[in-house]
Amino acid sequence: MIFHIAKRELYDNMNSLRFALTVLLILTLMIVNAVKHRGDYRAEMSIYRKNVAQSLDHLRSSSENLYDLVEKGPGNFYKQPSPLSFCADGGGAFLPDHVLAAEGHYIVGWENAEGIHVWVNGIWTLKFPDENPNLRDIRPDYTQIDWVLVISVVLSFVAILFTFDSISGERERGTLRLILSNSVPRSQILIGKFLGALLSIGLPFLMGALINLFLLNATNHISLETRDWGQLGVIFLIAMVYTSIFIALGLLISARVNQPEISLTILLLIWAVFVVLTPNTLGSIVSGLEPAQTREEYYIRRGEQWEALRERYEWPSGLPKREVPPARGTEMWAKYIEADAELEERLREERLKTQMDQVLFARSVARVSPASIVQFAVESLAGTGLSRHLRFLDGVRRYAAQYREFVISTDQADPDSPHLYFVRQGMSEKPVPYSVIPKFDDRIEFRESINAAMMDISLLVLFAVVLFVGAVLAFVRVDIT
Amino acid sequence: MFITITRRELLAHLLAYRFFVAMIVLLVLIVANAVVLIHDYERRLALYNNAIQNHQDEVVSAQTYSPLHLHADRPPNPLSLYNQGLEKRLGNTVHVDHAFVPTLWDAELHGMDNPFLNLLSSIDLAVVFQVVLSLLALLFAYDAIAGEHEKGSLRLIMTTPVSRGKILLAKYVAAMITLVVPLTISIVLTQILIYTSGSIVLSSDDWIRIGGFYLTSILYLSVFYLIGLLVSVTTRRTATALMSCMFAWVFLVLIYPNLVLFASNPKINPEEKGRAVFQELAQIWDRFDKERLRFLKHDSLEGEDPHLNVIGLGYSFGPSFHSNPMTLHYSHHHAISSSELSEDSKAAVPHAKAFFQHIEQLRIKTAERTWIVRQQALSRIFIHPVQRDRFLIRVSPASAYDLATEAWLGTNLCGLEHFFEAVRQYRQTLIGYFYDKNAFGSRQWFASDKGAVDWSDLPRFSYQRPNAWVAATQALPDVMLLLLINAILFMGSYLIFVRQEI
Repeated sequence: MIFHIAKRELYDNMNSLRFALTVLLILTLMIVNAVKHRGDYRAEMSIYRKNVAQSLDHLRSSSENLYDLVEKGPGNFYKQPSPLSFCADGGGAFLPDHVLAAEGHYIVGWENAEGIHVWVNGIWTLKFPDENPNLRDIRPDYTQIDWVLVISVVLSFVAILFTFDSISGERERGTLRLILSNSVPRSQILIGKFLGALLSIGLPFLMGALINLFLLNATNHISLETRDWGQLGVIFLIAMVYTSIFIALGLLISARVNQPEISLTILLLIWAVFVVLTPNTLGSIVSGLEPAQTREEYYIRRGEQWEALRERYEWPSGLPKREVPPARGTEMWAKYIEADAELEERLREERLKTQMDQVLFARSVARVSPASIVQFAVESLAGTGLSRHLRFLDGVRRYAAQYREFVISTDQADPDSPHLYFVRQGMSEKPVPYSVIPKFDDRIEFRESINAAMMDISLLVLFAVVLFVGAVLAFVRVDIT
Repeated sequence: MFITITRRELLAHLLAYRFFVAMIVLLVLIVANAVVLIHDYERRLALYNNAIQNHQDEVVSAQTYSPLHLHADRPPNPLSLYNQGLEKRLGNTVHVDHAFVPTLWDAELHGMDNPFLNLLSSIDLAVVFQVVLSLLALLFAYDAIAGEHEKGSLRLIMTTPVSRGKILLAKYVAAMITLVVPLTISIVLTQILIYTSGSIVLSSDDWIRIGGFYLTSILYLSVFYLIGLLVSVTTRRTATALMSCMFAWVFLVLIYPNLVLFASNPKINPEEKGRAVFQELAQIWDRFDKERLRFLKHDSLEGEDPHLNVIGLGYSFGPSFHSNPMTLHYSHHHAISSSELSEDSKAAVPHAKAFFQHIEQLRIKTAERTWIVRQQALSRIFIHPVQRDRFLIRVSPASAYDLATEAWLGTNLCGLEHFFEAVRQYRQTLIGYFYDKNAFGSRQWFASDKGAVDWSDLPRFSYQRPNAWVAATQALPDVMLLLLINAILFMGSYLIFVRQEI
């Protein structure tokens, strides 16, 4: 009986104007998306490969001397572009696509007898790019046309239009009595209606998505792998869960409110507040917080910490020398260079953390809106946006640790080295075979994507279940007059 | 009879449950957003005052003329809480220098030091009106005629001697009065919040701007009511009318502007587009540099020392180029500040004076020459595509409304350009000040051994937003467009309604 009702609902819907308009709207957006994104991924990939090749060249050129690896670092780290960026743009323009492996800077020691400053080169550090690409953009604000927009705005809007009169309308027309006079339990009727609406929205979306993928394939944008199909499948499921939220909400309000136009007004207002306005208030929420450390404050703090660091070390009276066991002065240099690099990197990490914390706070507040949740979930799965960027940064940090360990273990394997880190005169200067050096490889893993999206998906399911149960309870208690 | 119909309609709207719900939601949204936005304004104001103080300290710290580090700061616009436009995005502090003509592409943003905040979009009151009130307008309109048609009450009204045009007009007037109520209350509430916050003082000019914003909002609401009315007279069934209205709304307000901007988004690569211009700029500066070297070669002293044989305590930045192909930035600087001169250098002082006297004037001329070239290129590369986009998105009344209110409030591109125009004028004032003091040919241009520069009579930069009439003329095209759409929609509904058979 459930399927009978669902089928009837589906046929009814498919013959209606709203269904035709839904199909039209979704197809337009999906086609524009495909046409606009054609060739993007290939271009991005070729730039990415060129950059990675440059980094590897850098690594190869420094492998002639172990200490060069310490001083010059492994070359910049690049983020692999995602083939699914047409699904979720994720503000890609505002997220840097690389992390710099900055070469060691001069560390000025003391003045020698002639009054000239003596310096030694420091060691490489991670440096996070910090520019604001929006500063010179004078175009009006806009949202990218991607799957996220289709799902979060169009599907939810359509869901409301398909359900606002599904119970109150039947009651007005009097057909509700007719259905209830059958021996079918009310909950089954509701499930039937729910499935009918879900199918009538899911089908146009599926159609649009397939046309979108077909066009992208036909224009040679991507050749999707199994991993990508898995991700697309999960994105489709997320879209359906998200649509269910609004269908359940529509049924709930429709069961509680007698007149369709009032239920529509209420639903549209809820929709406008949660789907259109709430995700847009993120920036305002954050602006009310304590502003992150400004650039000037950062530099002042850095200067202070450096002063403090210098005071902690008494300056050796000579440049580092290669001798076993190392002289005390050389040891001081080594310790200072390490502390200096550590301090520099720690300050940068702290600054990045305060910046990220602001954004993450805003995002966690925005999760009151299912539209934001679905955006974050799809972004994670598509391998774009902030969560992907955070995973990329983690990958870079892990690699940096591995690389540093590698350098030390290689040095320890060299019997001629004084084993004093990190100063040129205290370490091996032998060439390192390029092939054994670990290389940075940024990958988009399906499992990681799912893990990152898991919390958001569970939240969406929770929303859907609660609202659906609410709708069932409301419908069971409906009085038929 | 006209009055009777209007009154009946008005009462029906005002007492409707949907009106009540929408009004409550709207007011909650407006108050919440206004509080957040006022707080945000106060924060930006504090950052501005802080920046002014720091920049003032920086000026005073310059001992000689040449290393002067002068900034112009843009105060936050209190009206940006109605429509923020580009106000928070573009730079609000820019370096003023006799050797370079500044533009908005050279400005920096004090305060926002978190580039990741670009990931988040922020809201203003215009967005709330754009979304909520237009929905409400459509909900009032879709069944205005179709509903009466279905109920059969349309026939009843037709039996009265009132003309059809008057019936339509009565419905329109009643709905507009109803829609203006929440709009007015929202703006009044916002003004009360602004007043009680104490941090924002509005001038009479600002009141005219807010008035313009209010009138434009009414026109915008009227467009959506009339779209609903047009749909309502053309369709016989309310269900069809409702669906057409809703899809028209979502398309016009949320989809179309994004669609156009997304589709037309040129991957602007200024470096590529401006390569020829950048080379031209480099050549102009090259000629300047040749002249500089020629001067050095033909002077009485040996060698071409960039420090002009002036040695002393203090710091010195020899001649240096700054360039950025992304913004077609190219400039040349030379700053020296010595607090004490060595005995040998004293002989070089007349020579250095003559050098700067000649070179700094040449530098100003060169800067002005490059500015002409650069200005044209910048507007070709950056501004023209934007003008085309703005033209295209106007098809949506929501975008026309957005552009018109931005213009009223002075947060659009023209409003911000006005600031940079003022900065460029201030630069002329600075050059005039240098000439008055005969700074270029003076010892104090590079050495402070005979006393540091007294900056107390340096003219300060202060910025006044353009008056409301300038804003009005900028808003006029979009306001006229909205008016035109209104007229066409009303005429359309009238013509269809008159010919309709009941």
